Amino acid sequence: MSQSLFEKVWDAHVVEQLPGGNALLFVDRIVAHEITTPQGALEIEQRYGDELFDKSRIVAMNDHVSPAKDTETAIQAKVLRQWAKRHGITLYDIGDNGICHVIAPERGHIEPGMTVICGDSHTCTLGAFGAFALGIGTTVQTGAMLAGCVVLERPKLMRVTVNGRLGHGATAKDLALYVISTLTFKGATGYAIEYRGEAIDALSMDERMTLCNMAVEAGGTTAMIAPDETTFSYLRGRENQPKGEAFETNVASWRALRADPDARYDRELTLDVSTLRPMVSWGTNPGESVPLDGRVPADADAKSLEYMDLAPGDALRGLPVDQAFIGSCTNSRLADLRAAGEVLRGRKVSVPTIITPGSQAVKRAAEKEGLHDVFQDAGALWTHSSCGPCLGMSMGVVAPGSRCISSSNRNFPGRMGAGARVHLASPAVVAASAILGRIASPEELGPIGSLEKVGAERLR
Amino acid sequence: MIVEGNVLPVDRANVDTDQIIPAFLLTGITSTGLGVHLFKGMTGGPDLLAAHPDASIVVTRENFGCGSSREHAAWALADRGFRAVVAPSFARIFQENAYNNGVAPVVVDAAEIDTLLAAPALRIDLENETLQIRHPELVEGRTLKFSLDPLRKRFLLEGGYLEFLANKRDAVRSWLNRDRVRPG
Repeated sequence: MSQSLFEKVWDAHVVEQLPGGNALLFVDRIVAHEITTPQGALEIEQRYGDELFDKSRIVAMNDHVSPAKDTETAIQAKVLRQWAKRHGITLYDIGDNGICHVIAPERGHIEPGMTVICGDSHTCTLGAFGAFALGIGTTVQTGAMLAGCVVLERPKLMRVTVNGRLGHGATAKDLALYVISTLTFKGATGYAIEYRGEAIDALSMDERMTLCNMAVEAGGTTAMIAPDETTFSYLRGRENQPKGEAFETNVASWRALRADPDARYDRELTLDVSTLRPMVSWGTNPGESVPLDGRVPADADAKSLEYMDLAPGDALRGLPVDQAFIGSCTNSRLADLRAAGEVLRGRKVSVPTIITPGSQAVKRAAEKEGLHDVFQDAGALWTHSSCGPCLGMSMGVVAPGSRCISSSNRNFPGRMGAGARVHLASPAVVAASAILGRIASPEELGPIGSLEKVGAERLR
Repeated sequence: MIVEGNVLPVDRANVDTDQIIPAFLLTGITSTGLGVHLFKGMTGGPDLLAAHPDASIVVTRENFGCGSSREHAAWALADRGFRAVVAPSFARIFQENAYNNGVAPVVVDAAEIDTLLAAPALRIDLENETLQIRHPELVEGRTLKFSLDPLRKRFLLEGGYLEFLANKRDAVRSWLNRDRVRPG
């Protein structure tokens, strides 16, 4: 029978069918961070004799607030650290850590065909590898730590075909915002998305992760991309992956992880991106996004407008910004930093700008290319890796009423700080806006490097 | 099980979990005591709660609980005494978290929400999956039907998600040893 990519992965993990369309689904990889793991670790210690189902399937990191900002977050990190040490669980900690969705694939813990969970909604990022990866709450994570499985209702399937090639300064981030604004903020609720098409085939792994990262912003359970040579090249030779023949044997089986020709979907969406231009959000959810040259829609939500201090018909280009942020699990990988560097090279920012790499390994790789000098010469703050300003939890909180242009994923009310107004965009657009002090596209700065390819590992 | 209580009318769509409890308050290592932080991230949230001190049922618009996976949102609602959220739709992760913490995610037709937002109190029969508007002196005759996930309803009413999984451990091990095939 013809199957979609999702069905192939799902079916291979069903331990037992349960009532109501639910399944007991086996979990290959649990990614555990310090905000949502300690509660479950303590519960298993107290109620179940500290017994984990399979510690080798767990990988842990202190990432959301690392280093700790106060006593409470220091305790969170300490509990995770002690738990990992006690069980011999791989832990990425201060000095060698990174955002969970950056470091887990970077260190080779994510493979095609896996099921992956993490107590973080952006776990869908890892669907870029052809894994079924989803965010879950602490109780569900704890259940997987205890019994190796989750109870999950099988999502419906949506196929998104993306024709054409990205150009004109449009990046994977712009594609993500375009998809979400098309589907709306809740349009993919209850669905797993499968991306395919010419534009998807051409994306690097960094770009695919950016795209899949934001599936949850349309409500999607996950997004998946069938593994191909781009995926295999990323994984080949990577830490924690088998070497030589053993790896190639895996590749041979991974090649089967693609939708059969007449696989069936509950919903189909076809887009063409050949004319896509950079996008920017205007409102208080990522679905409220328009092309950078667009205007706030006439039928815009009144509460969003009030929070953002905007009116229908207002232009986005030229709107003054007070702060800029490049980072987050959406756009903090090397390709993103290169894209920002292309714009910032030889120029100066005019508003406070924070650039936060997604992992310490990304930081070191960027510094080998001299990007730290580019950023700091431009007057930006180049920080250690962490979730950072994205969620207003530690450093870089945005003041009430201030407007921040950000490469992150959420423009919710209060997300980057109480009363803070967030506009989502690509790293290149954030960089250009940081320089000009207003929402701007890089082309306003004149010819820039190889902007046609901005956002891509093709810059290599 | 019957949930009877006053309504907290949250007349907006897309109430994300950052509004239910902002990230800077997620610094604990336990799931308890978070009720004091409920709706601190929502404009006017604390004032709304103060105006409805006895409320135990949230009525709101579509896509409640979207955004972050933080179970702290469900923990805060439960700790503050909320036993149900009535909305036209929920985000997936919040809905799972609500079931696992004794907070019933009650889905009703969007056309009913204006009426329910204006209702002083509701009577929700979780076992029979019905909802009625309650006034101080009477319960309205009109009854709305809703449906709960049959398996999660058990977790909602009796707790025990973890115990359910703990009891599956042997079955999972034998599946791993005997029945598992590689995807592809």
